[in-house]
Amino acid sequence: MELPDTKTINLKWPDGYHIDFKTGQFITVYWPDTPNYKRAYSLSSCALDQGSYEVTIKRDGKMGTRIVDWAKVGDRLGVLPPAGKFLPVLEHNKHLICIAGGSGVTPFRGFVREATRRKLETKITILYSVRTTNDIIFNTEFRQLEQENPNFKFHVTCTRLTPSDPWTGRCGRIDAAWIQSHIGEAQNTVFYACGPNELVENTQHLVMNELGVPKAQMLVEKWG
Amino acid sequence: MSNVPSDLKYAKSHEWVRVNGDTATVGITDHAQHELTDVVFVELPALNRALKAGEACAVVESVKTASDIYSPVSGQVVEINKAVVDNPALVNTDPYAGGWFYKIKLSQPAEVNTLLTPAQYTAQISGS
Repeated sequence: MELPDTKTINLKWPDGYHIDFKTGQFITVYWPDTPNYKRAYSLSSCALDQGSYEVTIKRDGKMGTRIVDWAKVGDRLGVLPPAGKFLPVLEHNKHLICIAGGSGVTPFRGFVREATRRKLETKITILYSVRTTNDIIFNTEFRQLEQENPNFKFHVTCTRLTPSDPWTGRCGRIDAAWIQSHIGEAQNTVFYACGPNELVENTQHLVMNELGVPKAQMLVEKWG
Repeated sequence: MSNVPSDLKYAKSHEWVRVNGDTATVGITDHAQHELTDVVFVELPALNRALKAGEACAVVESVKTASDIYSPVSGQVVEINKAVVDNPALVNTDPYAGGWFYKIKLSQPAEVNTLLTPAQYTAQISGS
């Protein structure tokens, strides 16, 4: 379990199966007993992870509840092949600023994992909005990846802390000034936003309207 | 551009209401279904359940997310749309007719007057 309500599951491919896919794509899953009821989840693993997919799922809705509370080792799920264009531009001179809310951080684990394993010079900065310190998915893993990869930075902001919380990091919603403070060469920066619709739409507004970034430099993945 | 019928009232949380005498029909808007994308599961309130305006009373799950639906008005549920439970895609294909959720006997009819007009709801979803 990543959090009490969030679980990463590893979906092993059938023997002899192979497929080409890209880091940042999503898969669509279903239980064999309800084939018409499908949910899409971003891969939290990367394209270097052959032989299985990993998805990180929050307990929400019927699918999320069934997987988080009831899935066990050996269960079989139907999986539609990876799809989507929310892909990291892993070029050596690029800086990816990845803005996430809640479980929207999960595809960025794949981004960082691939860049770290390939020892790429691509800079990746995650700006992650959560309600409280208890809601940070992959906190330990991202801190570890920061140690392994000097080009990766992980920053968290908490929006609903109680006054007694000992958190000394940033508080409050993501704003243009916070994003701006992480931009180096603007023309080589690619912005990503993933999470609930409201967060993604607000981020699009901040990046494109307030910071004046061209639309071509921003990719978004809305989760409704 | 989303369809916003002129004969309905709307909640800020994207439900629509069609009043007929002392009963109202409730569903979610074309804009909401478009944002949700393909709806795969609908859970409706129990028949005869008493609801208060603003109370979470149903769940809509799409391929991307699960969302609570809030009753725009207070009253007692007198009919639910079993067709939309059996075929959740109706929410996407026919949000204002075949995709309705439930009918409610209004206990506070004046609440309808506090809901958004089509023009107000259009302004909300267009961000103006």
